[in-house]
Amino acid sequence: MKKPFAVALMTLAALPALAGSPARDTILAGLATEAKKADPSFAGFSADRGASFFGATQKGGKPDTPSCTSCHGTTPEATGTTRAGKPVEPLAVSKVPTRYTDPEKVAKWFQRNCTSVLGRECTALEKGDFITFMATR
Amino acid sequence: MPIPEGKPIVWDLPIRLFHWSLALLVAAAAITGFLAPAWWLDVHVWAGWGIGALLVFRLVWGLVGSEHARFRHFPVSFHAIFGHAVEMIRLQGRPHPGHTPLGAAMVAVLLVVLLGLVATGAMVLGGQEKIGPLAGFLSFAAGHGGKEVHEALAVGLLVLVGLHVAGVVVESWLTRENLVRAMANGRKRAPIPRPARRGALALAGFAIAGTAGSLALLAAVPPKGIPDMPRLAAFEKECGACHGLYHPSLLPATSWEALMEDLSDHFGENASLPPAAAVAIAAHLRTYAAESWDSEAANRLRQVSAEEPLRISGSPFWRHRHRKIPDAVFAAKPVSSRANCFACHGDAAGGRFADTAIRFPKETSQ
Repeated sequence: MKKPFAVALMTLAALPALAGSPARDTILAGLATEAKKADPSFAGFSADRGASFFGATQKGGKPDTPSCTSCHGTTPEATGTTRAGKPVEPLAVSKVPTRYTDPEKVAKWFQRNCTSVLGRECTALEKGDFITFMATR
Repeated sequence: MPIPEGKPIVWDLPIRLFHWSLALLVAAAAITGFLAPAWWLDVHVWAGWGIGALLVFRLVWGLVGSEHARFRHFPVSFHAIFGHAVEMIRLQGRPHPGHTPLGAAMVAVLLVVLLGLVATGAMVLGGQEKIGPLAGFLSFAAGHGGKEVHEALAVGLLVLVGLHVAGVVVESWLTRENLVRAMANGRKRAPIPRPARRGALALAGFAIAGTAGSLALLAAVPPKGIPDMPRLAAFEKECGACHGLYHPSLLPATSWEALMEDLSDHFGENASLPPAAAVAIAAHLRTYAAESWDSEAANRLRQVSAEEPLRISGSPFWRHRHRKIPDAVFAAKPVSSRANCFACHGDAAGGRFADTAIRFPKETSQ
């Protein structure tokens, strides 16, 4: 019984580093359920897909904000600037650990910024990939 | 006691220090007033207060200072002034122990004009910028009126200073006595004058301190036309998330109403809010819109542009005031947008926008 106990302990210790906060996990789980509903072949979120989504130049949104990076800076660790000149805290969880832990805030900003950048709401897959990517940074 | 060279000190040390400090401060005030851009206002204002302190000293010294400083001994009768003018025109020089009649008249006029400049300057500062001892008592319009007088007096002062210098040069030449040097070392051909009263300096010091203290007390009166505005958490949280908190006084109520009606396209950004927050914020903005303030910003920005009635930086006044600021300054990193009032106006959040509070961030290399 010694070995499994040690493994469990190690897993527990590693959890905060890997998965971050329970609140973020809950948000991600909700998005996963939604993604699965939209596409039954959904097999988990991908940080790589999130990374390319973050850096991509989008069409269909407002001309001043063609990409997440228009306001958030070129890397998740960068401090961004709104179009009105106000600094935006980094998106990377390593920089701002409270990121993606308040469901209301997450919903509000995805809703606003997706319509600004893409001209539409983001899918659950896009949101989940995005948060998964930011949690690794 | 006779002085070895036969030239006693007719201008005592305090009056000489007064004269040259005044010349220096008037030069500083004139340069910052006529030439420097608005954000030098604090230097101008400090020069003005300095001049005010010197004037208080001079008024006291005119009563209790040494003989030739006293107003009672000013040779300013019509007869004396007219006689002196005739002599000057005929290029006749006659030494005068203290002030010449025309010189004394000039000193009197200069003192009155300078007092007027300090007083009207305080009116502008109080009425328009809502700063200083008159801020609690004057409307923006009164401050604006003071500005007209202040500017006229300033031009008048330049003329008077020119005449004063010309008079000194001509009189020095006619009497073969260097009057500029006399104001430096105090010595002139004259009988030994009566010294200042004992305690005169202390009296002048008390007068200056007393005046400054009273003005400081007046300055503590809350500014006129600046209502108490409660803080609104929703306003600070929601609006403050993307931009600095634009003071409600920066747009008229009609503009705020129109702006709050459609937040889904808020200057090209989706800024939609939960209905409850939107209603509360709209009410706050309407209540404390430009119409209910008497600040300079509110008075000026009440007039919006016909094309862009919702954009503060689109208003005619805004454009005019910022016309000389290069695009590069707005584009520079710490500013990054014309909408970022807060980068340069240290008091923007309070809606004050005093010229004295303008500071360009270092990176804009202004």
